Amino acid sequence: MNPNLDYFQLMAEARRISCQESTGACSRKLRLAVLADCAVQHLLPLLRALFHRKGIQVEIYEGPFAATELEARNPSSALYEFRPEIVSILHSVQALRDRFYRGGAKVQNEFLQELTGIWDAITSTSRALVIQSTFVAPMERFFGNYDRKIDNSFSSIVSRLNSFIVDEARQRRNVLLLDLETVASWVGRQSWFDERLWALGKSLCSLDQLPAVASNIVDIAVAAQGQTIKCIVLDLDNTLWGGVVGDDGPHGIRIGAHGDGEPFFRLQCFLRELKRRGILLTVCSKNEHANALKPFHENSEMVLELDDFVAFVANWKNKPENIAAIQKELNIGFDSMLFIDDSPFERASVRTLLPEVIVPELADDPAEWVKYLSELNLFEVASFSKQDAQRSGAYLQEVRRRAASEAAPNFEAFLESLDMTIEVERFAPRHLNRIAQLLQRSNQFNLTTHRRNEAECEALMNDPEGCIPLSASLKDRFGDHGLISVVVLRPEPTEGALAITDWLMSCRVLGRGVEQYLMNQVIHQARTLNLPTIRASYIPTSKNDMVKDFYARFGFEKVREAPNGVTDWALDAMSYKERQVLMRPARDEMGATTI
Amino acid sequence: MENVIAERLTQTFRSTFGKSDIQLSRGTTAADIKEWDSLMHINLIVAVEREFRVRFTTLEVMSLSNVGDLADTIARKINKE
Repeated sequence: MNPNLDYFQLMAEARRISCQESTGACSRKLRLAVLADCAVQHLLPLLRALFHRKGIQVEIYEGPFAATELEARNPSSALYEFRPEIVSILHSVQALRDRFYRGGAKVQNEFLQELTGIWDAITSTSRALVIQSTFVAPMERFFGNYDRKIDNSFSSIVSRLNSFIVDEARQRRNVLLLDLETVASWVGRQSWFDERLWALGKSLCSLDQLPAVASNIVDIAVAAQGQTIKCIVLDLDNTLWGGVVGDDGPHGIRIGAHGDGEPFFRLQCFLRELKRRGILLTVCSKNEHANALKPFHENSEMVLELDDFVAFVANWKNKPENIAAIQKELNIGFDSMLFIDDSPFERASVRTLLPEVIVPELADDPAEWVKYLSELNLFEVASFSKQDAQRSGAYLQEVRRRAASEAAPNFEAFLESLDMTIEVERFAPRHLNRIAQLLQRSNQFNLTTHRRNEAECEALMNDPEGCIPLSASLKDRFGDHGLISVVVLRPEPTEGALAITDWLMSCRVLGRGVEQYLMNQVIHQARTLNLPTIRASYIPTSKNDMVKDFYARFGFEKVREAPNGVTDWALDAMSYKERQVLMRPARDEMGATTI
Repeated sequence: MENVIAERLTQTFRSTFGKSDIQLSRGTTAADIKEWDSLMHINLIVAVEREFRVRFTTLEVMSLSNVGDLADTIARKINKE
């Protein structure tokens, strides 16, 4: 929805592109089909121009006018012959209006059936991604404001169809939305609709608004190819807050829910939401580092906290250099970084030296910024998962671990600096789901690879035979790793032995000493139960070679090797020398006795 | 054609078609310019509206038969204001 896009300028651009086609300037290609119940000749050149700006050479298939269903349902139609990667389906409220006038309210159900039929057909016949438009609300009102109180009024039908399109798209991974209803409302329907152009040539909207349609389709397609903004680099003084912290002090800056700090407060709220949905926030400020931190520590009106940022750079170096360092640290592309700074000088310097970084102009008035950034539609994505929401936290942990490992003089000291706490306990109902998941999924660090499901784990938990099923959870000062290891012990009193039937661990926590800690616990158990021998087996699979010598490393003796590679091991619990560990129990002595 | 209107029209045609060699006369029709198809027709109308800050009715657009008609319609609208 870039407000700077001009229809005629884009037309001219498209003309130039078609002249120089096949010069190979574009690194990526895309096959896009456009199916519509309105005319799209005016839209297609805009799409070509805008895709070209993104470095994508687009090949477009224009479906026959108002034949979307026919094309989609026919497996041998020209649509499928074209082998589109994306199918953009445009439905105009004007065409729906014609159908309403002809057939009345039954158009609603007809349309629903038709649409799901189209989506189903495309899904089953091709692997194309569908970009489905929503309806722009009609201008026609037959009951005035009472219109929406009438169940079968045209505006009620359109609104219901939009809800349906949205609900149905949520259920389908391969259907994305082109929310024309919202796009049109940016300018208002008064300027959006040009009924003369509809009468003359079935044009979806006025030509002036057509670039917004095209740019949104391009934004979605580009996001679907994985090109999205992943990181925002933020200036501090006069960007995140009003004023200069070095001069005005942490309490003199303008920030807060009311008064002259409100625009900055609102920007911070906006950024915090973006962070929650997976965009990494970083700071790049020309400041004394200590000064830059002060508002975060001392000013309670601040919305963003230091932990919201995965990188915090405040020094007197030039910004492109600092941004390049941030880019390297986070290991993301420059073209997935957005730079927000109130200073035209800084914006220009970044644009010049790091041309791939996205640098929007900003209005003089900070109150306009969020609206303007939203209008630019910079944050388009093609999917969202729980993992995205946790991305910022995961990055932060990783960045800090790395920093700590660089600061630590040796690895042991590093492990010690992690301040790890481990909790070993019997299987508990609240953990069964995760325990079963680990048993099902762990391949590499898994000695016997018994795939036990949740019910089987529950049976172990309640085992009256005296089975000891243990789970271990790990935390360090950067975060919680959750439940990461499972060890199942079975006492064999008649033989004076304690058998290890299962031992597995998530590879995420390799090399931290979790297994040493657990082995100490196992031996402790054996001694407590007065069982002098520890027995164990290793069952080889195609993936667990890494633990082939696991028991040997702890001083076990190999007592048997079967032809299929299974090895049996035994250890005298009394002769075991306790291994040194760099973690402490989460719940002192209590934890040990509950086992 | 009024000279001023003729000149601005020629410029508008040239930039809309992206062709600097277009020459217009009152009798010029779509048949005289190869690229003048239905797509370009709408483009022209909207470009002319922008250039002259006028707005044509649907009927006016549909009744245009050549560039002379177009110039007359523009002149009539400008003079009305």
